[in-house]
Amino acid sequence: MSSAGIDKVRDWILGRHPERTELAADVDLIESRLVDSLAFVELVYTIEDAAGIEVDFDNIDIEDFQTLATIEKAFFA
Amino acid sequence: MDAVSYTAQWMAAARAQESEREDALFVDPLAQDLAAPRGFELIERYAGGGLLPFISIRTRYLDDAIRDVLATSGIQQVVLIAAGMDTRSFRLDWPEGTEVYEVDHALLIAEKRRRLDALGAEPRTDRREVSADLTGDWMPSLEAAGFDRDRPTLWVAEALTFFLTEEQAAGLLQLLASASAPGSHLAFDILGRALLRSPFSKPFLDTLAADGTPWIFGTDEPEEFLTANGWKTTDLREPGQPGAGEGRWPYQVQPRNRRGANRLWLIRAEIATA
Repeated sequence: MSSAGIDKVRDWILGRHPERTELAADVDLIESRLVDSLAFVELVYTIEDAAGIEVDFDNIDIEDFQTLATIEKAFFA
Repeated sequence: MDAVSYTAQWMAAARAQESEREDALFVDPLAQDLAAPRGFELIERYAGGGLLPFISIRTRYLDDAIRDVLATSGIQQVVLIAAGMDTRSFRLDWPEGTEVYEVDHALLIAEKRRRLDALGAEPRTDRREVSADLTGDWMPSLEAAGFDRDRPTLWVAEALTFFLTEEQAAGLLQLLASASAPGSHLAFDILGRALLRSPFSKPFLDTLAADGTPWIFGTDEPEEFLTANGWKTTDLREPGQPGAGEGRWPYQVQPRNRRGANRLWLIRAEIATA
């Protein structure tokens, strides 16, 4: 069961990669280079918009951003 | 060749690839031969993160800066600091009488000369090689090659400040300022600090560090950094903006006040007047 918020995050990632049509919850976004270092801030802004929160850039835990599942757990649970 | 020379090959490889594009921002016919032996391999090793488009955008931004500054200022003395495999002496249109000093360490200068000679490359202006240790006192070597600190200068420092500490970067700007006659200009680039701290940059930054060429210095307040070290910013852009690769940058340009954004600063400055 996924929330509308995490769908927005998934859509944003897929929107950057037109060659992909789906993205499983356990795909490592960093290792697969789906989100690179410069796109990372855009991912954070997307999560902020979708979750209605503000992420503290000085205390980012990369584990929270590893996969769609960890993002959902950290920001949409 | 030492580690920093491999980054020079990497940049040459990136310029060679750019030159092949239909929408190329510049064409550097010598880059292919200057990229050997490791340049193309390093493109793979450092892939992702917008580096390739950044190298191309920066090259073109500085090409434009050189052309504009020389056309409007009458400056005839240009110094490329840590020139690496830069071929601007061979590919840009230079006003009559322009002297271009290429400063880098002796091994790189010798290897570059060997390759350019083999290609029969002819500089399009008065090109002067300056072998010097940029970590030491290199100004005397530059002056021995004919540089005159009483004449206005355009300094170009491409992809250099990343590899310095903040103290060294500040010292470089101060050194350039101290050797700059009134009317001198500077064109260069600085990393943003957020980019160096982002956990998503870490794999790439770790790779650079493992290769002996760590990225160290960055700032999110470039104007203040320049002002504190003798320079006044006259043009500041980020990749993706008009005049800085608009349409070629695969990321959004973030508003200046946006928190946490990864910045890459492209800068023109002039010497501050007392």
